[in-house]
Amino acid sequence: MIGKSSWFQRRKYGGWGITPRTSQGWLYILISIILLVLFRQISAYLFFGGLAVLMLDILHIMATLKKDELETRVEALAERNGAWTMIAALIIGIFFQVAQSASGDLQGVDPFLLIALFSGAIVKSISNWWLERKGIDK
Amino acid sequence: MTTRIREYRQKLHLTQAELADQVGVRRETIVFLEQGKYNPSLKLAHTIAKTLKSSIEEIFDLE
Repeated sequence: MIGKSSWFQRRKYGGWGITPRTSQGWLYILISIILLVLFRQISAYLFFGGLAVLMLDILHIMATLKKDELETRVEALAERNGAWTMIAALIIGIFFQVAQSASGDLQGVDPFLLIALFSGAIVKSISNWWLERKGIDK
Repeated sequence: MTTRIREYRQKLHLTQAELADQVGVRRETIVFLEQGKYNPSLKLAHTIAKTLKSSIEEIFDLE
């Protein structure tokens, strides 16, 4: 793709994604922002097309980031803690909306909350199945 | 776990960064290993021992 994983490191604090660690990484971010602003002025299709390419490139960079075994383990534990927190928040949100629906203040539960919870459970199941079949080298 | 990584590293006149490069990990990982704060995988332990021209038993002590 376009950006190289050696220009970036994983974002550890304040969310998910990547952080530039070289001047090329910062240049990549700057050029991406400038292009998106330009595309937005020209056409919505060009803007969303450019955004899609950028998202795919960032996902590719994240998937190919080089991490040693300590960083991989730290990342796994941090992501697990983040996931458990999000799951707890989603469950509390769903129960809250169920209670509000029962009292007539709300029309049902937001489907995106349920989609988030179930899609996470499905991905976890697939990951467990796949990793137990394949094994982990690190 | 205690390690003798620092002792063997200094015998070979290697910095933490140089050892990290040769072994294929970050310098922070070598720091954690020297402080006994991280148990490496067998593969990493073997690579470190080989780089330091010694054996796993000499470098790492699980006591």
